[in-house]
Amino acid sequence: MIDYEYKIPADLHEVFTLLKEYGEKATLVAGGTDVMVKIRNTRKAPEVLISLRRLEDLRYIRKNGGYRIGGLTTHRMLELSNLVRTELSALHDAASQVGSVQVRNVATLGGNICNAAPSADTAAPLLVLDATVVLEGPGGRRRVPIAEFFKGTYRTVKEPDEVLIEFDIPEKMGAFGSAYWKHSRRKAMELPLIGIAVSVKLSEANEIEDSRIALTVAAPTPIRAYLAEDFLRGKPFTDQVLKEAGEIASSSECCTLRTSLRCEAWYREDMIKIFVPRMAKLAAERIKSR
Amino acid sequence: MSEYLYVGKSTPRTIETDKVTGRAVYISDLRRPGMLFGKILYSRYAHAKIKSIDTSKAEKLQGVRAVLTGRDIPEVRVGFLKDQTVLKKDVVRQFRDEVAAVAATSPEIAEEALGLIEVEYEELPAVFDPIEAMKEDAPLVHEIDARGRPVRSNILPLPWKFSAGDIEQGRKDSAYIAKDNVRTTWVNQCCMGTSGCVAEFDMNNNLTLYSQTNVPFLGKQRIVEYLRNIGLKGSRVRVVNPIVGGSFGTKLDTDIYEFIAVQLALRTRKPVKILFTREEEFRALPPRQPAIFEIEQGCDKEGKLTFRKVEAILDNGAYTSWGATTPSVMMMPISSLYRVPNVSFNATCVYTNNIYCQAMRGYGNPQATFAVETSMDSLAEEAGIDPAELRLINCNKPGELTPMRLKITTCPLDRCIKTVQEKINWKEKRGKRNGRGIGMASLIHVAGGARVYKSDGHGIMVKVDQNGNVDVLESGTDQGQGSPTVISQMVAEALGFRPEDVSITLGDTALCLWDAGTHASRHTFMAGNAAIRACDKAKKQILEMAVEHMPEIVEYKLKRKERKDPDFQMPDLDYSLISEPDKLDIKDRYIFPKNQPEHPYFRMEVSEVLTRGLHVGTGESKVVVGEAFYDPPTEMLDREMKGNYSCTYAFGTTAVEVEVDRETGEVKILNLFAAHDVGRAMNPTLVKGQIYGAAYMGVGYGLTEQLQLRNGRVMNPNFRDYKMLTAKDVVPVVPLVIEEPDADGPFGAKGIGEPGLVPTAPAIANAIYDAIGVRITDLPITAEKVLVALKKKAGEQS
Amino acid sequence: MKKVSVSFTLNGEPVTIEVPTTWNLLKVLRECFELNGAKEGCGVGECGCCTVIVDGDAVNSCIYPIPEIEGRSVLSVEGISGTDGGLHPLQKAFLENNAVQCGFCTSGMIMSAKALLDKNPEPTEDEIRTGISGNFCRCTGYVQIVEAIEMAAKNKEGNF
Repeated sequence: MIDYEYKIPADLHEVFTLLKEYGEKATLVAGGTDVMVKIRNTRKAPEVLISLRRLEDLRYIRKNGGYRIGGLTTHRMLELSNLVRTELSALHDAASQVGSVQVRNVATLGGNICNAAPSADTAAPLLVLDATVVLEGPGGRRRVPIAEFFKGTYRTVKEPDEVLIEFDIPEKMGAFGSAYWKHSRRKAMELPLIGIAVSVKLSEANEIEDSRIALTVAAPTPIRAYLAEDFLRGKPFTDQVLKEAGEIASSSECCTLRTSLRCEAWYREDMIKIFVPRMAKLAAERIKSR
Repeated sequence: MSEYLYVGKSTPRTIETDKVTGRAVYISDLRRPGMLFGKILYSRYAHAKIKSIDTSKAEKLQGVRAVLTGRDIPEVRVGFLKDQTVLKKDVVRQFRDEVAAVAATSPEIAEEALGLIEVEYEELPAVFDPIEAMKEDAPLVHEIDARGRPVRSNILPLPWKFSAGDIEQGRKDSAYIAKDNVRTTWVNQCCMGTSGCVAEFDMNNNLTLYSQTNVPFLGKQRIVEYLRNIGLKGSRVRVVNPIVGGSFGTKLDTDIYEFIAVQLALRTRKPVKILFTREEEFRALPPRQPAIFEIEQGCDKEGKLTFRKVEAILDNGAYTSWGATTPSVMMMPISSLYRVPNVSFNATCVYTNNIYCQAMRGYGNPQATFAVETSMDSLAEEAGIDPAELRLINCNKPGELTPMRLKITTCPLDRCIKTVQEKINWKEKRGKRNGRGIGMASLIHVAGGARVYKSDGHGIMVKVDQNGNVDVLESGTDQGQGSPTVISQMVAEALGFRPEDVSITLGDTALCLWDAGTHASRHTFMAGNAAIRACDKAKKQILEMAVEHMPEIVEYKLKRKERKDPDFQMPDLDYSLISEPDKLDIKDRYIFPKNQPEHPYFRMEVSEVLTRGLHVGTGESKVVVGEAFYDPPTEMLDREMKGNYSCTYAFGTTAVEVEVDRETGEVKILNLFAAHDVGRAMNPTLVKGQIYGAAYMGVGYGLTEQLQLRNGRVMNPNFRDYKMLTAKDVVPVVPLVIEEPDADGPFGAKGIGEPGLVPTAPAIANAIYDAIGVRITDLPITAEKVLVALKKKAGEQS
Repeated sequence: MKKVSVSFTLNGEPVTIEVPTTWNLLKVLRECFELNGAKEGCGVGECGCCTVIVDGDAVNSCIYPIPEIEGRSVLSVEGISGTDGGLHPLQKAFLENNAVQCGFCTSGMIMSAKALLDKNPEPTEDEIRTGISGNFCRCTGYVQIVEAIEMAAKNKEGNF
C-alpha cells in the first residue's frame, strides 16, 4: 500500500536541509498535478514528498529590464497577467490552455518544466523566448538555457538536490512578438497532439530580423527548429517564406515525429507545416499592434 | 392560453434540491453498517486458458474478508444468451473478464489483495475483427453453447432477418441507386457517476441490492433466478435505487459486477460495495455496439424511394448483452424512416475477443440512422435531387403502416424538415463547396413505450394524506432526466393538486408496482398514462368523500360564524350543487362545485375534506389510494420482426452548418438546429435539456469519441484520451420543440430521451460533404479522416 | 501507516483531524466530515466532480494532498447556503434552469462557478465556459449550466 511522509518546508533553506537528509528517498512536489496523479496511476510512491507549496517568495512575475518569473508561479497567475499576455504572448497562450482552471490554480511553471514531458505546453514558449532556467542547490545557483535543460523524455539536467527557482527572459525578447498553438481535439482538458511556438522580430521593411521556432511532441524533448530559424533570418515576411520554414521545421532534420495512439506522425508533420506560418503571422500581428 | 395549469410549464427541479446541496445519496455515498469493499481482478489476456489461480497470499492480507474465484462459486450462466459465468473458471475470452474478486475492509486493502492473487495463463489465439472471426479457420471464442452443445462458428444464432416486399422488383423500378459502406465504432456512455452497487443479505438469505439499475423489476427477477440456481431457493430480493449519476443505457442489463457483489455479500454476510473506478468504467463497462453496414438504396425518376437493402455485421465481443439486440431497433429506421416499399435487413452478430457491448442511448438507432441518412444523401446526389427535397418526397405521414407494421399516428416529420430548413437558410447556404456546408438528417424512434418484453406495463400508486400531500410510488427510475419533476406536474394536473404537494418515490421493488424499465424513452409516456388513471381513481374517492362530508363542514362553519356574529344571516344554500361526485371538481388544491366554482361556502381547500374524511371512526375510516397499471395496446415483434411495438413514434430532424478547415481537417459546428416532435412538452425547459444533452452526445459520436481497442485492449481508459466534449467545445444547439399532441400520450406527450442524439452524426457528415465534397462514412469523423479524404479526392482529380 | 494532524477552516468552522498522510482532501471531506457533495469521478484531476474552493481558488480535491490544507480555508457545496438555510443564488439558478440533471457533476460545477463569480461577478459567456472547462457533464450539454450561471450572476443577493 502506498505510504509516504509529506514534508512542508517553510523556506528554501529548509528544502535543502530535507533534500540532504532524505536524498534519493525524496521527490519534490509543487502543485501536485503530475506527482499525485502519477502516484495514483502507478500505485507507487517515493518514501518522502517535499512540498514547495509554501514558498510564496517564489511566486512572482516581474519586469525589470528583463522578465523574471518565479519557479512556483502558477499557470493561473500567468493566465491572468496582463504583462505576460501582452509581452510574453506565447507563454500566455500556453499557460491559459493547460488542463483546466482547477489544474492551473495549483500547477506551477517550474513543475511543468521539471516534469519534462515531451508535450509540456509551456516548454515551447519558453524556448522561443530564450528563457534561462535558474537552479539553486546546496552548492549555489546556476543558470541553464532552456534549450539545454531537457535531457530526454521526463529527464532534465536538474540535480535531485536542486530547486528550479526562477525563469529569466531577456529584455530583448520584449521586442519579439510570439504565439503558441496547441493542436488538440478539444478546447480544454487536453495534452497537445503537437505544440508549435514562434517568436519573431521584424524590421521596418517587414523582414525577419530574428525568429525562434519551438515544437513539442515532435521529439523526445521539447525542441527548437534551428534550421527553420536559420532559413527565416533576414528573409521577407511572406507566405511563401513562412511556408518553406514550416516544411523545414517538419522535416526529419528538425524533429523526430512519432505515431502514437493519440496521433499519427504524418498528421503531426502536416500540422507543423500549417501552424508555423499561422503562428508566425499571429506573432507578427501582435508585435505590430503593441 | 393553455388548458393546463401545470403540465406544459417549466416547473423548476425543486423536488431535487438535494442534488445542489450535496445531500443526494448516490451509490458512491451509500454506507451500510459493517460494509466491505469489493474489487475485481480482470484478465491479463484477450484469450487464454486459466491454468491456476493462487489466492493464498491475498487471503492472508489483514483486512481481507473473502477471496473468490470461479472455482469457489457454482458455475451458473448469466446474460441473455447465458454465455458467461460470473467468475471465469477455465478460459478468459476478453481483457475485461472477471477472474477473481475480493472483499475487504477498505478499497485500498481490496486493491492490494488483487495484486497478491497469482494467476497462471496459457495464451490462446485470439480474433479481434468480426469479419476475420466469421472465417472458417478463425479461432473459436466459445467452444460450447449455454446447453453444452459444441459450437462451430463465431456467428451467433440470432435471427436478425427482416424482409418486406421485393428487393429485386425495387431494383428494377429504380432510376438511381446508391451504395455505401458505413462504419460506427465503440463509444463509452461516460456517466459521471461510475457503476457500482451494494449487496446485503439478511440472516434468512433475503437480499437487498442497492443498484443503479433502470430495470429494477427485471433486474430483481434475474437475481432471483440466479439465487435459485445457486441453491437459495426461497430468497427474496429487493432492489433499491439510490440517486443515479447517469445511465445512457448502462443500466439495462444486470452486469457481472452485481452478481459478484451478491456472491461476496453471501460469503461474508456483510454488505459489500463494488464501485468502479473511472479506469474500470472505460475498460470493463460494455460500451455502445459498433456496426459495419452495407446499404443500398434506390429511387425512381421522381425521387420516390423504391427499395432499401441493408447488411450489417456486429462485433459482439466475447459475451452477449444488449448490444446483440440492437438490430431489433435498427430495423425501425431501416424499414420505417421515410416511406420505402421494399426493405431487407440482415444483421450478423459475431463473437470476437473484443469487449462486449450493451445498450446506449438510441440502442442501435444512431448507428442505423447514420447508415440510412448517409445513404439518402448519397442517393440524392445520384439522382440530382436536393437532399431535403428527397426527404420531403418520401416523408412519413400520419395514418400509415410501415413495412415493419409500425402504425404511424402523429407525425409532423414534414414540419420538422421544413422548420430546420428555414432556420438554417437551406436554399441560400447549400451547394457552395467552399468549406462551409449544410446537411440534415431525420429520425424515427419509439415514443410510446416499447414492447420488448411480453409486458410493457408500468404501475403507479398514488396516496393522499389529510394535509393534501400526495405520495407517489413510481415504478420507473430516475437517471437524471427529470422524471420526479415531470411526474409531479402530471399528478398535480390529473389530481387537481399542486406539484409542490407531490413527493415521488421511485425505483424500489418492495414499494412500487411493476415496470418494464426506464428505457426506450418511455418514462414520461408510461408514467403519465398510469398516473392519469391512478389519479382518476384517487380523485373519485376524494369526490365521494367530499359528497359525504362537505355538508357537515359547511354547516360547522356557518354555525361558528353565527356564534361569532349575531347579525349573521344564515344563507339559504343549494346543497344539490354538491350532492354527487360528478358535480364536483378539484383544481389547484381547491374542491368546488362545477356549476359555481367560486361558491362562497362550497369552495374549499381539499385538505379540509381529507382531514374530515380520512380516519373518521370505527368501521368508517378510509384511505385515499389510487393505483393503476398501464400496459399500452401494442405488439411484440413476431417471427418476421414485424409488429407495432410502440404506441406512437417520435420524429425529428437536425440540420447542421459546418465549417471545415481544409488544412487541418478540423470541423467546426457553426449552427445546429434540432426540431423534435414531442407531442406536447410536459416541461419545456426539461425537454430542451434533453435535446441539448443528446445533441452534444451526438456531436461527440460524430466527431470525437471512440474507445480505442488494440488487440482487444482498451488503450484510452481515461478522460484525457477519451474525447468527451468540454464546456469550451461550444456547439450552438437550437432546440425547436414541435408540438402535435398525441392522442395516446398523457396530456399529448411523447418520449424525447433518445431522439435528440439519433440524427446528429449523419447531419454533420452530410454537412461536411456539402462543405468539401467528401463523404466520410466512418465514425468518428476525425480531422485525420477529413484530410485523408481530401488528399484522396485531390489525387483522383489530378 | 504514517499519519498527519491538520487544522483548517471548513465551511467557516475551524476543524482539526488526524488521518493517514496519503489521504487527499476529497477523501477527508467525505469520510471524516460526511460531506458527500464533492465526488470522485476519475480520481486523477481530470473531471472536476471533486471540485471545492481552497483559499478562494477552485481545485480538484482528489489530487490535493491533505497535509497541504494546514491553515487554509475550504469551502464545499454544503457551505454555500445562507445562514438562514436559504439556497445560494447558484443553487437556485441550477434548479430553475435545469442545470442539474443526474446531478453527479453538480457539486463540483457549482463550486467552479462560485469561484468564478466571486472573482469575476460579471463574466462573459466565454469566461464562464473557461471557468467550468474543468468540469465534465454528460447530461446537459452545458448550455443550461452556462445560462444558470449567467442568471445567478444577475440575481446575486448581497455578497457571494
